Amino acid sequence: MAMTQVEKDQVYERARHTSYDVYEIFVQASDLDPHVHVGSLLAPSPEWALQLARENFLRRADAINIWAVRRSDVHATPDDPDWFAREFDRKYRDVSGYADNARRWKRFKAQAMNIDDVIADVRKE
Amino acid sequence: MPEARREAFMARIRRGEKIEAHDWMPDDYRLLLLRLIHMHAVSEIMGAYPEKEWVPKAPTLRRKMSLMAKVQDEIGHGQLLLRVAEDLAAPLGRDRMELMDDVITGRVKFHNVFHMEAPTWADAGIIGWLVDGAAIITQTALLDCSYAPYARVLKRICAEESFHMQHGESIILSLAEGEPWQREMLQEALNRWWEAILFFFGPPVVTDAARRMMEYRIRSRTNEELRQKFLTRYVPRIRAVGLEIPDSALRFDEEAGLWRYTEPDWERWSRVVRENIGPKSQERIALRRMAHQDQAWVREALVRARTAAVV
Amino acid sequence: MAIEADARVRDAILGGLALQLADEELFLGHRDSEWLGLAPEVEEDVAFASIAQDEVRHASFWYELAEACGFGQADALAFDRAPSERRHAALCARPNGDWAYTVLRHYLYDAWDAVRLAALAESGDEVWASGARRMLREEHYHHLHMERWVVDLGRAGGEAAARLRGAFAALLPDLPDLVAFAVDPQALVDLGILSRPLADLRRAFVARVEATLSRAGLPAEEIAARLAAHPREGARQTAPDHDAAALLETMNGVRSLGAAVW
Repeated sequence: MAMTQVEKDQVYERARHTSYDVYEIFVQASDLDPHVHVGSLLAPSPEWALQLARENFLRRADAINIWAVRRSDVHATPDDPDWFAREFDRKYRDVSGYADNARRWKRFKAQAMNIDDVIADVRKE
Repeated sequence: MPEARREAFMARIRRGEKIEAHDWMPDDYRLLLLRLIHMHAVSEIMGAYPEKEWVPKAPTLRRKMSLMAKVQDEIGHGQLLLRVAEDLAAPLGRDRMELMDDVITGRVKFHNVFHMEAPTWADAGIIGWLVDGAAIITQTALLDCSYAPYARVLKRICAEESFHMQHGESIILSLAEGEPWQREMLQEALNRWWEAILFFFGPPVVTDAARRMMEYRIRSRTNEELRQKFLTRYVPRIRAVGLEIPDSALRFDEEAGLWRYTEPDWERWSRVVRENIGPKSQERIALRRMAHQDQAWVREALVRARTAAVV
Repeated sequence: MAIEADARVRDAILGGLALQLADEELFLGHRDSEWLGLAPEVEEDVAFASIAQDEVRHASFWYELAEACGFGQADALAFDRAPSERRHAALCARPNGDWAYTVLRHYLYDAWDAVRLAALAESGDEVWASGARRMLREEHYHHLHMERWVVDLGRAGGEAAARLRGAFAALLPDLPDLVAFAVDPQALVDLGILSRPLADLRRAFVARVEATLSRAGLPAEEIAARLAAHPREGARQTAPDHDAAALLETMNGVRSLGAAVW
């Protein structure tokens, strides 16, 4: 069974030209969490990527699902900061744009509502 | 034009922006990073071997499992770092195979501490406590690195190192609380490792490469600053468990706010790293050859199996 | 008085089984751990190391059960018993050989372990049953991982398939002792610990591995024939000492220094 050095070198030479693919790994921690990118690994196939991802990325953390995506299948935005340009304020679509509501409610002797109170109230038995 | 591009890049660095793998970067930046991360990755993997020697011999089931987990983490850190190095090396036409070949041909170096012998169980403890302690200090100092993929991976690594710290301390504490001969074993291990650990941070002189790395905000602290932090943190603890540090010159110079110590033999240790002539250098490189080259048939088989599955 | 005597007999049988399971998991986990830093790829190194840890963790569970049966402290049972007192099947302590031998041995062991654990999971004793159920869940990943290795090496042909066939030939003679018990299996059935007789479990084992091994191009049918020729109906003999002796010699490098807390 033992190979000669020449045979080993031949196999090695062939193996040099057969490389694995890079897979990007995404992990979902719980049903209510989205898949989050955690890193990448080398694997010969998607099935192997999933097998290897479990222990390479989840030795401690809990998870319920893993995605393995071949890197060449990932489409990313260009490296252009202007792609994300957002120069003027958008407070009109933000809670912070309505800070005056609380004061104005006072005049009517009522309190402003916030979403956390609503959620807590709806959840309450 | 290339100068303008470089200037724009340096402006980004100075603004504290992070660089990603696909961003344009000066060759100098790429090569400095690659050298740093390649050595870091390989050191994690070579660093698994001295502790691995103690997995079969660990004295209890719990110690056996925790040491296995620790060695596994080191290999896992090697994996994470290799991936970062591979992405930096890809535009240069170099891949995992080559980065690993470099260990065997001696083109990439690994840290001095992993060239050494670990003859007793206490050595396994000292590695976990002080060698990892030193490594944690150098790694946390890189957390703000301008190269984002490295910084991200270091964040994960540092989180796992917190377990390594506890693991090392637990072994040490058992020995320190133990029989007189166990404490002696611990003292002897410390004597063996002290100089190597001081060398681990590198010479105090700021080399040209180190200066450039600071300009690029790859790193922000000098070797000596890190060594001083290590001493401040660990000297009192080492003394607290009743160990004597094997350096009669070691003292804290209140006026200068610095630790004074006997300098390690810089030349001798540099040669160990450069020429792989430590007591275990060649044996451990041979282990890597066994894993990487002698099992190339496995890698080749999986690629062939993939084709076979498609057909 | 008679009840006490029954309890003693029961503890002796169950403790004996716990020791067998523990020794097997410890030795195999130990062999697995020898691959640390040496697996064919870095990612596999990490995955395989988790499997090794699981085996040692399971060993620890079984040693604790043996301890509960009055056999002595778990660490002492794991490390200080002589090779001749061990109850493992020879296959678990064999030196690692190449990667093909390693994964095929593991695959066969895991397959048998899954069958054995499924029978123990239906045990009348809740400690045994719940331990077996939990292990069974962890073994699922081992099984998938090893199955993939075996099938892929076989399907790759060439060098890999040749090595896999070599491993199969080397492992085949060890199977009758693997698929057996170091205590009389009928006594385990009588005690309600084992829900099915050995003959049933052996059939389940063959059914479990046959298709996979065939897909890997291995002569799976030889297993049934080999098992039939060596039924091992009572308590099987202990494995020859030499592999366990070599293992224990390295294991006791620290503990043999003297009585101490580690």
